[in-house]
Amino acid sequence: MLKVFKYTLIDLARNRFVLGYALLMLFVAEGLFFVEDDPSKALLSLVQVVMALVPLIALVFTIVYSYDSLEFTQLLAVQPIARRSILAGQLLALCTALLVAQGFGLGLPLIVHLPNMAALMLSFSGSGLVLVFTALGLLIALKQREKARGVGVGLTVWFLFVLVYDALLMALMFSFSDHPIEPFVVPLAALNPIDMGRILVMLQVDLAAMMGYSGAVYKDFFGSYGGIAVAAAVLLLWFVVPTLFSFRTFQRKDL
Amino acid sequence: MEVLAIAAPGDTIHVYGEVHEGTITIEKSVVLIGHDGAVIDGGEQGEVVLIKSNDVTIEGFTIRGSRISNLEDNAGIKASECRNTVIQDNFLDGCFFAIYLSGSKGALVEHNTVVGHNVRDDQMGNGIHLWKCNSAIIRNNTVRNHRDGIYFEFVTDSRIIDNISTGHIRYGLHFMFSHRNEYIGNLFRDNGAGVAVMYSHHMIMRHNRFEANRGASAYGLLLKEINDGEVTDNLMMDNTTGLMVDGCNRISVERNEFRNNGWALRLFANALYCAFNDNAFIANTFDLSSNGELKENVMSGNYWDRYVGYDLDHDKVGDTPHRPLGFFALLVERIPYAMVFSRSLFVSLLDRAERLLPTLTPAALQDEHPLMRQQEWVGKADKNNGNAPISVRTMNGRSNDMDHG
Repeated sequence: MLKVFKYTLIDLARNRFVLGYALLMLFVAEGLFFVEDDPSKALLSLVQVVMALVPLIALVFTIVYSYDSLEFTQLLAVQPIARRSILAGQLLALCTALLVAQGFGLGLPLIVHLPNMAALMLSFSGSGLVLVFTALGLLIALKQREKARGVGVGLTVWFLFVLVYDALLMALMFSFSDHPIEPFVVPLAALNPIDMGRILVMLQVDLAAMMGYSGAVYKDFFGSYGGIAVAAAVLLLWFVVPTLFSFRTFQRKDL
Repeated sequence: MEVLAIAAPGDTIHVYGEVHEGTITIEKSVVLIGHDGAVIDGGEQGEVVLIKSNDVTIEGFTIRGSRISNLEDNAGIKASECRNTVIQDNFLDGCFFAIYLSGSKGALVEHNTVVGHNVRDDQMGNGIHLWKCNSAIIRNNTVRNHRDGIYFEFVTDSRIIDNISTGHIRYGLHFMFSHRNEYIGNLFRDNGAGVAVMYSHHMIMRHNRFEANRGASAYGLLLKEINDGEVTDNLMMDNTTGLMVDGCNRISVERNEFRNNGWALRLFANALYCAFNDNAFIANTFDLSSNGELKENVMSGNYWDRYVGYDLDHDKVGDTPHRPLGFFALLVERIPYAMVFSRSLFVSLLDRAERLLPTLTPAALQDEHPLMRQQEWVGKADKNNGNAPISVRTMNGRSNDMDHG
């Protein structure tokens, strides 16, 4: 597994897309910090970019890379290596490459310009999103035989997470606004990894507003270490479940 | 202190480093000056210093031990029905009420440090409490950890200048039915509910700082049923709600800076003929929120950091109006826990669409002349603690000295 990991990582390091991703994030982050006088305002814009862009890139890149390295995977599969090791090595390499790229492109500007709790939360949830959507991308790539189809499904999944889920939740909230459904809406929102990440950052940034009304409740929950643990658990679940499905699919797949 | 009995009116009594136990009642016009840590300890008997004569001065004492009571308002220093009381340079340590003036005329409360216990609110009275007074001056005091820091009820023509009021259970400053008062250059921070001005008219509020008042019903400044008030050159920062306007008429809110608040401005639809001009709104979660239509109010020449218009003629005023009332602000007003969707992509899209084609938000309230850049003089309340006199250039360039002495 370590060998597969190593060679995939070397291949990824040569891949211009990963470098491009790192530079893009760096460019966006530095640009926002440059344009806005107030670093905490730049962070708010950055949150929106990260919450939309990171899942998209992680998904699409993983899917495209999986198809492109199919021949290499086939070559590996005829060697006396367990399929489990091949997939684990590849997944690990993909996650590592994207995390390093993101650490460089997003983490570095954050540390330089705004070393505070909100920035830490943004890095934390950004990394979580990379893991989750890499795992999802891999599963999609394994399930679909055709590359174009795979990318299509990937885009649809991204769209569902980033827009449709919130739209549905808000529709639900509106139609049941006369009922006490508040205890359901927040956990439901937290089920979506993108919303979860956003809420974690927002609790640090919009603290003053969150403290108003029932905001104190969220603060008590998400602001505490227990809440962060729950958030981490949700993200972990979103990583682990698709990965398990990926392994099952890969074991049985006719390459 | 026995000397009080033989003192003649007009005498000055110097007390050196003595600890006096029990209540002192002053029934003559004397000046009482403490030196070298002179202490008056009421010993939890009831009142500590009771002033019952005109022209009394209490200066330089440490005063403590007024009994907590649910029936009587026991105070560290209480003056009732007196004229020209002067209370200065005292340290009031953990009194139930600290300084309590009722029916006083022309009192001066200056340079005192008032610190409460900050226990449950039924165990704690107000720091500086005025009832049915007029022409009082409260200046340069530091008040901490009481129920209300400074409380005015039926007080007229008085001034509150350059005080620091922090960490109170309820309000840092609280006015009820008190007219024609001014408060200038004060700092209010970390109070349970901020500052409240209620049922009063002709109030002047200038150069104050309202900071870090957080909680479900905490406001930097709450104006309730105020007529003809003036809120200028203040700074509202890090509050859950910066300024709340409920049932007010003819209020002018000008040249204030709203920074980092949850809601910068919450305007109830019952506001009439209020003007919000030349303010700056920066990095607030919501700049404006309301519970209905906003009519007959004016809003012009403000700086909004959310403004996305352009300025083709380079007159530093945006060419398109700004609508500060967003769709999401209205949504949260209706369904508070919609806050979880704050800054999600979907909400941002809806907000943007609403700004382009307003259908839900009332069109009445918009800034026709939003500024492209923040004016320099906006919100220049003293950044330290409000003790130094501040000169602020007003719009027409006149120097408006705020040290009214």
